[in-house]
Amino acid sequence: AAVGEGGEALPTIFVVTPTYARPVQKAELVRLSQTLLHVPSLHWLVVEDSAAPTPLVGGLLASSGLSYTHLYAPTPPEKRRKPGDPPWLRARGVEQRNRALRWLRETRRPGESGVVYFADDDNTYSLRLFQEMRSTRGVSVWPVGLVGGLRFERPLVEGGRVVGFHTAWKPERPFPLDMAGFAVGLPLLLAHPGARFDPEAERGYLESSLLGGLVTPAQLEPKADNCTQVLVWHTRTEKPRA
Amino acid sequence: MPKRRDILAIVLIVLPWTLLITVWHQSTIAPLLAVHKDDGGDSRRDLAAGLDSKEYCLSDRDIVEVVRTEYVYTRPPPWSDTLPTIHVITPTYSRPVQKAELTRLANTLLHVPNLHWILVEDSQRRTPLITRLLRDTGLNYTHLNVETPRNYKLRGDMRDPRIPRGTMQRNLALRWLRETFNKNNSQPGIVYFADDDNTYSLELFEEMRSTRKVSVWPVAFVGGLRYESPKVNAAGKVYGWKTVFDPHRPFAIDMAGFAVNLRLILQRSQACFKLRGVKGGYQESSLLRELVTLNDLEPKAANCTKILVWHTRTEKP
Repeated sequence: AAVGEGGEALPTIFVVTPTYARPVQKAELVRLSQTLLHVPSLHWLVVEDSAAPTPLVGGLLASSGLSYTHLYAPTPPEKRRKPGDPPWLRARGVEQRNRALRWLRETRRPGESGVVYFADDDNTYSLRLFQEMRSTRGVSVWPVGLVGGLRFERPLVEGGRVVGFHTAWKPERPFPLDMAGFAVGLPLLLAHPGARFDPEAERGYLESSLLGGLVTPAQLEPKADNCTQVLVWHTRTEKPRA
Repeated sequence: MPKRRDILAIVLIVLPWTLLITVWHQSTIAPLLAVHKDDGGDSRRDLAAGLDSKEYCLSDRDIVEVVRTEYVYTRPPPWSDTLPTIHVITPTYSRPVQKAELTRLANTLLHVPNLHWILVEDSQRRTPLITRLLRDTGLNYTHLNVETPRNYKLRGDMRDPRIPRGTMQRNLALRWLRETFNKNNSQPGIVYFADDDNTYSLELFEEMRSTRKVSVWPVAFVGGLRYESPKVNAAGKVYGWKTVFDPHRPFAIDMAGFAVNLRLILQRSQACFKLRGVKGGYQESSLLRELVTLNDLEPKAANCTKILVWHTRTEKP
């Protein structure tokens, strides 16, 4: 794992970003890479929704200055969202995130320290978020701004433990969290070789399909001042009128 | 029996080291980075050249993995005595995505050497949210505010629609520059208007640093096109505009598509963005026509063939 000079090995944060071609793709990846470039001991796993790696993403990664692995995994045609499909249809990025999980399982040593974070290319991440997640042992959680029809969605914490969730959208979900609202310790992931995102999961249940195989809600580790600080925002970028 | 001066000597030696280790240990910014960042300015440029990177192909074809083992940059980069300062003027207004936009813009600006961020709130007074945000970034900044007058004849909270958003704020920043810097002996500087929702490559800032009067470049996602761009002839001069939206504007260019040398701002001390009576798309022209002619424009980004800035817009949540 990459380390800062000085020898102290910070656990590597593996940032998993699925991405797909559309006009704003390059802009999104450029500004995300600029945020990630500030974070020490970070390895970016970029997984294209494509049949082969593209020069656009390859070139961008090569000049980003980051440590990275460039992967690809095409979404099967029958599962692909067609233009005009309502957004509540099947979740996106499943095959790509699972591809990253496969890479981790094939290349990381058992017991290797690290944290895995699923960072979509259009969200906004503060630098402090990465500091908070670095100490993840099992699964850590924190609030996410601008999601679920609320100003923010967040776990409810009492006595340092998660006791519930503040959310307005499908609160009956086992883990009513956004993809950007949790991180998983690498050892935990490697210890559960079957844990993955369910391609058949209904939208909103993707996170639960992974986390359910790893922890119970009571075992979640609250970060960001007992889940009172918003350090990540679920921003979405408009389609350019062209 | 140790003498008093021996004890004093030991204390004077041990105490500073104790303090140093305590402070170092508590520092929230990983101390490794600050200490081990060596000779400043050229570090980032050397990145492509001499870094220690391993590339190897795994069993799946076409997987590229690059592991870099060099240090991570201090935030922001150390100030250089030789680089012109880039004064980035960003008007901003309160709405749900504001903090997110400013956070990610700050993350970009933190990579740029000799950058001075002039953030101008559209508000009655400087807000605690923005005050805290600016302070926490570590950037070199100036925090201003001016409120665009509201039009009470319309629904409650509407600003005067005849004044394009951001105009008064940009003009205030220009006024601040003119009050702060003396046109005779000011440090070299470049002025750039960067709205808080666009996306800027780091290369863009280095391109604009050599601006003598006004430099220009393409901008993606404006004017109803994939990109808008100045048209550059074989002599390297701008002769027109590649755009579909009103190409006969004097300067058919987006706010993000040009930068102005600070000297020119100080010399033409009355030049500013026109407040009222400005048709859509003519804001930029209202300033630029008081500063330069077409012939004076300096094309950047490989004679305006590369996209280094994108006019992204964020959805309302």
